[in-house]
Amino acid sequence: MPAHETLGEMLAARGISRRAFLKYTSWLATLMALPPGMAPAMAEELAKAKRQSVIWLSFQECTGCTESITRSFSPTLEDLIFNFISLDYHHTLQAASGEAAEHAREAAMAENKGKYVVVVDGSVPVKDGGIYSTIAGISNLQMLEETVADSLAVIAVGTCAAYGGIPHANPNPTGAVAISELVKGKPVINIPGCPPIPEAMTGTIAYLLSFGKLPDLDTLGRPLAFFGESIHDRCYRRPFYERGLFAKDFDDEGARSGWCLFEVGCKGPITYNACATLKWNGGVSFPIQSGHGCLGCSEPDFWDKGGFYRPLSTPLRDITPTAAVAAGIGAAAGLAAGALHRAIKKDAAKNHHTVTVDNLEKSS
Amino acid sequence: MNESLPITCAGETTGSGSLVRAIVAEAAALLAGLAETGETGRIDLAGLPLTEADKAALEELLGAGEVVAEIAVVGRSTVAETGHAGVWWVRHYGSDDRIAAEVLEITRIPEILLSHPADIAAAARRLGDTLGTASAGATDAIKEDRPDAGP
Ligand code: SF4
Repeated sequence: MPAHETLGEMLAARGISRRAFLKYTSWLATLMALPPGMAPAMAEELAKAKRQSVIWLSFQECTGCTESITRSFSPTLEDLIFNFISLDYHHTLQAASGEAAEHAREAAMAENKGKYVVVVDGSVPVKDGGIYSTIAGISNLQMLEETVADSLAVIAVGTCAAYGGIPHANPNPTGAVAISELVKGKPVINIPGCPPIPEAMTGTIAYLLSFGKLPDLDTLGRPLAFFGESIHDRCYRRPFYERGLFAKDFDDEGARSGWCLFEVGCKGPITYNACATLKWNGGVSFPIQSGHGCLGCSEPDFWDKGGFYRPLSTPLRDITPTAAVAAGIGAAAGLAAGALHRAIKKDAAKNHHTVTVDNLEKSS
Repeated sequence: MNESLPITCAGETTGSGSLVRAIVAEAAALLAGLAETGETGRIDLAGLPLTEADKAALEELLGAGEVVAEIAVVGRSTVAETGHAGVWWVRHYGSDDRIAAEVLEITRIPEILLSHPADIAAAARRLGDTLGTASAGATDAIKEDRPDAGP
């Protein structure tokens, strides 16, 4: 595609009408809970945009994030994003290898100086000079610094890139750190999840393209459109939680009746993600719907929270004074109640003492 | 605590009538606005926690109108006027023919049915080119008939 060509011209050359943009932005507005009236104006902007150069760096990761974003095989609404971006470098997906692959990265950086977006999956090991993960003879740390220097923005996809994730789990032998700890002076958007929901990744990129700015982010750098509510907030088992009806085991009467999974370790109350609404595999289901508690994979240190099957815990000391202080700070800083709730529970999780639902209720 | 409820894990099947009534009330207000000022409106149904039963109830309340259109662009979309003129039900399908976006549009005609000016301009050029090619083809045919004829 010629560099000056707009996305509208590009699709027109392939015989696809402007309706495709309106359909895409109607979907995006739904996904991101934008006012539905914005879809036509967004469609116009997107059609005028140029194809976005994307350099995708994979560091300490398992390729699950790439699997998630490329889940769909037939050309559909969800895949349209791959026409809107030019994936100029991606170890796993590109045909080139070795020096040719590295040249592709350097060429994209030179051609799109200051305009390309860097997507990173995986954490970066910094211990012992970063020798634990190298690509093309340079450490991940060097590659990140070099690539990010002239970028427009950085998107850290997956929990490893967003917070260090599994390589960062105790005892973190390679000194793995989050991308946001290493990138300074460039905006970093975190799209955590193990893997992240594909729509959260593609929707964020499409938002950047349509509006030319970052979406609203929470305190952990996550787009509020996808991470603004907890799993618990939107869980269809919530009525059972409210009524105190809990499965105590995976094959008991409560589990068979579809009751709340809190007591078998569900981390839904402290996990912010869109699984309960967007669901997985094209909207088929999500873990809780399949009978398993939420693992909390889009939160920092989910691997080190004392066990997936241990109920959420709280400190043995009375949590009320903490809550009162936090409430004061929260009110002063204009913090949402959800953030306060989260802070209390994060603190609680560290102590790993099992608590009752009553305790949790007190903090909300 | 031991009471076992007849529910299925795959989501609720019974609807809540209040949400449906709220949607209809919003549609009614927007429709009155359209009638008076011409201002259009949209209600995003996918963003609401509607069950299948809710949707069926909403469809029944709004009824079926005279127009049903199908659009084939990056998958399928359907546009149907409900039994209330000016209230359109627009569904966009994604992969696996799953509903990706569903909107009630309060308008004279949903924008996605209109041909976009950029597409019209491109089509005009293309049709012109086709005409040019067709007339060039005709000239070639004449030349073949009369090989001695000049250009
Ligand atoms: S604790 Fe888990 S299963 Fe229970 S309502 Fe909350 S998110 Fe759903």
